[in-house]
Amino acid sequence: MEERTLDQLNPGDAAHVVSLDPRHPLRRRLLELGFVRGAPVTVVRRAPMGDPLELRVNGTDLALRLADLRGIRVRR
Amino acid sequence: MTAPLLPPSVPDLGGLRLPDAAACAVTVARLQGAREPRVVVVGNPNVGKTTLINAVAGTRLKVGNWSGVTVEKREAHLSHAGRRVHLLDLPGAYSLSPHTPEELIARTALMDEAPDAVMNVLDAGNLERNLYLTLQLMDFGLPVAVALNLVDEARDKGLTVDAPALSRALGVPVIETVASRSVGTADLMSGVLDRATLGVAVRYPAAIEEAAQDLTSCMSGLSTLPPHAHRYLALALLEGDPSVRGRLAATGHQPLLEAADAHLAALEARGLDPLIEIAEARYARAGDLARVAVPQAQARRTFSERLDRLTLHPLLGIPLFLGLVLLVFRLTFSVASPFVDLIGGPLQDILSGWASAGLAWFPLARDLVVGAIIPGVGTVLSFLPTLLVLYLAMSFLEDSGYMARAAFLMDRAMRSVGLDGRAFIPLILGFGCNVPAVYATRTLERRSDRVLVSMILPFMSCSARLPVYVVFAAALFPRSGSWLVWGLYVLGMAVAFLFALVLRRTSLPAEGGGVLLELPPYRFPAWRVLWKHAWRRTASFARRARTTVMGTVAVVWLLLALPAVSGQRFATVPPQQSLFGVVSQAVSPIFAPLGFGNWQATGALVPGFIAKEVVVGTLGQIYLGEQAAAPAPLGLVAGITQTLGAAWDAVKASVSALPTVLALPSLSAGPSADTQTPLAAALARAFTPASGLAYLVFVLLYTPCIATVGAMAQEHGRRVAWVTVAYQLATAWVVGLIVYQIASRVL
Ligand SMILES: Nc1nc2c(ncn2[C@@H]2O[C@H](COP(=O)(O)OP(=O)(O)OP(=O)(O)O)[C@@H](O)[C@H]2O)c(=O)[nH]1
Ligand SMILES: [Mg+2]
Repeated sequence: MEERTLDQLNPGDAAHVVSLDPRHPLRRRLLELGFVRGAPVTVVRRAPMGDPLELRVNGTDLALRLADLRGIRVRR
Repeated sequence: MTAPLLPPSVPDLGGLRLPDAAACAVTVARLQGAREPRVVVVGNPNVGKTTLINAVAGTRLKVGNWSGVTVEKREAHLSHAGRRVHLLDLPGAYSLSPHTPEELIARTALMDEAPDAVMNVLDAGNLERNLYLTLQLMDFGLPVAVALNLVDEARDKGLTVDAPALSRALGVPVIETVASRSVGTADLMSGVLDRATLGVAVRYPAAIEEAAQDLTSCMSGLSTLPPHAHRYLALALLEGDPSVRGRLAATGHQPLLEAADAHLAALEARGLDPLIEIAEARYARAGDLARVAVPQAQARRTFSERLDRLTLHPLLGIPLFLGLVLLVFRLTFSVASPFVDLIGGPLQDILSGWASAGLAWFPLARDLVVGAIIPGVGTVLSFLPTLLVLYLAMSFLEDSGYMARAAFLMDRAMRSVGLDGRAFIPLILGFGCNVPAVYATRTLERRSDRVLVSMILPFMSCSARLPVYVVFAAALFPRSGSWLVWGLYVLGMAVAFLFALVLRRTSLPAEGGGVLLELPPYRFPAWRVLWKHAWRRTASFARRARTTVMGTVAVVWLLLALPAVSGQRFATVPPQQSLFGVVSQAVSPIFAPLGFGNWQATGALVPGFIAKEVVVGTLGQIYLGEQAAAPAPLGLVAGITQTLGAAWDAVKASVSALPTVLALPSLSAGPSADTQTPLAAALARAFTPASGLAYLVFVLLYTPCIATVGAMAQEHGRRVAWVTVAYQLATAWVVGLIVYQIASRVL
């Protein structure tokens, strides 16, 4: 399956985390929230003005900006 | 090796580390022997820690449905089985590696407060993520008991939780609770005090365990680090936790840091990143535990998700949000204004009548009471109903979880002024009162954001400024009062955002680093809790009317009574020749270009620095004190019947105003012209529409009140506080000038 970064997914898409950019500004925080290898992520929706995306990880809903999603690699 | 209090059958989930029997015996004995045990309450944000404490201890600490309601540690006490127990409420944290100052508080308490036990509160509907923190707690050598809270919500999602199974797997007591309805709280306290024990921790990959072992043995000789924190510290060092490194460096533990660096280098050489290894091990274990505790996790589509489809709708989301804010302000006006008229008008007249009759023999005291205290404090108190409604509405938005959605909706817009959606929450809270809003900036991760938001916050029109607008609206713009007030709020926000941009470009550049917002599930707020919040905030406003406002009013009266011109006598001097009048007169030319260069208007601004609502009180004193001819006193019975009659009319008017609130397009209904209070009438004579408008703009922008300045100094230092006062004064003058110059040509 092809690998891509999270910002390229659309609402409704689901994927599994492959890796975090080692220089990601939120790296620690994302690991704590469960963005570990293999964790399932779903994109729930896009904010009305296009930026942040709402994601579901581990039963929690959170929102990240596209710029920060670029550092998260996922596989469908 | 099994700990004495560990349940007999610990299921083998792999990667486990059983507690050390000797350590277990020592800590449990200490907990059970403590005469006044200290229990820290730890858990993710918004899982109901504070609600739980309030339920067990009968306290009234603040709760709300967004992350970061509790921003400082707070203590509650209760007695259990004859022992006095200290419960320490801590801000929520996802992990013990802090990212914000408030998250640091939880870890500091665990390390330094020498707690006897930990109460770990979990969201039963979201176990996997909550258990991450639990597993971190297990790396501390402290007895733990788990409160499995929000089980009602989990059930609504279709999840069944098996607390006994989780308890067996964790090796600590697990008690199901519904904090908001006080379910399970008695069991919980006995669970914490009688059965808490060290739990089953994660066993990390061998290379990491070896490194951690070595680091803990380096610490064993040091008296400076509490022994119960050794393993936690060792792991945090391996995770490269900057705050732990900083703390150890500052306390002279360089050898320890060097040892950690050596281990990190060795691990890296083997291709291992301890940060990832540790997170993965914890999540693997958290996943196993969640499967044990919630056997068939097949969450149903929830109410929250359906509601979000509307509130976060691509097209409707933002209009809905703006409409909601507008609705809150309309509600505040229509429903509360009859009561405002009641307290400000008939009630005050009757009281003045009685007071002047009762104090007829003490002219000085009568002057003070009838000419200063009753109009000053009375005018301020007449806004209590308005505030109560405003606070109820705001508590509803906070408690329901909608505030977090507002942050999501507004993030993109906030980005264009260099902030993020989370900064929106303190700004909105600023509409209520700037002081708690300044403290709410603690939930922001970066200092530059915290300072920036605090500096623009006072432009958000707090509820204490509302009385000033309402009185002027009634006096000068009787037909478009709501629009005027709405416009002032918008102007405040516009100025705030303008300065956000300016400050970002100049002294407080963005620090970079990502943005992460949380969207908690919606919860229908308990009316009892809402009422309690709103009532408490209103009561503190009323208390200030009794203390700060009454004090300021009395001082102003004294200054008005002191003659500044020879030949005049105390208390009979005309206001213009009093000390207050003469000084205000001297300053007033500054405001001539703004259209209100008279001593009355200028003088009323000064006490506004103490508290904004005093501006109205002082105007009342100046304009009404002059004509201090009190209304004729009514008999006691007549007075009471008349009051009750007026009160009943107010209730009727308020109820009949309710349907009009929803008629959104007609925003015109404001304070009605025919019930103009004496103060409004006096203002209508003293101001033109243009100068009144400039005055309101000046009051909106001119300076944070002293309490806000104090909060800012405490949070960000005195310099930030005073710079804010200075730049706001300048801004208020300039914007007031522009408004007057335009308005005097147009109006
Ligand atoms: N349905 C339900 N709601 C609850 C329960 N416990 C708490 N709540 C609600 O959850 C929300 C959050 O409660 P708080 O007590 O403020 O949570 P907290 O953990 O102290 O939050 P922070 O201080 O921000 O970390 C409030 O709206 C509570 O009324 C529960 O057991 N069931
Ligand atoms: Mg709390």
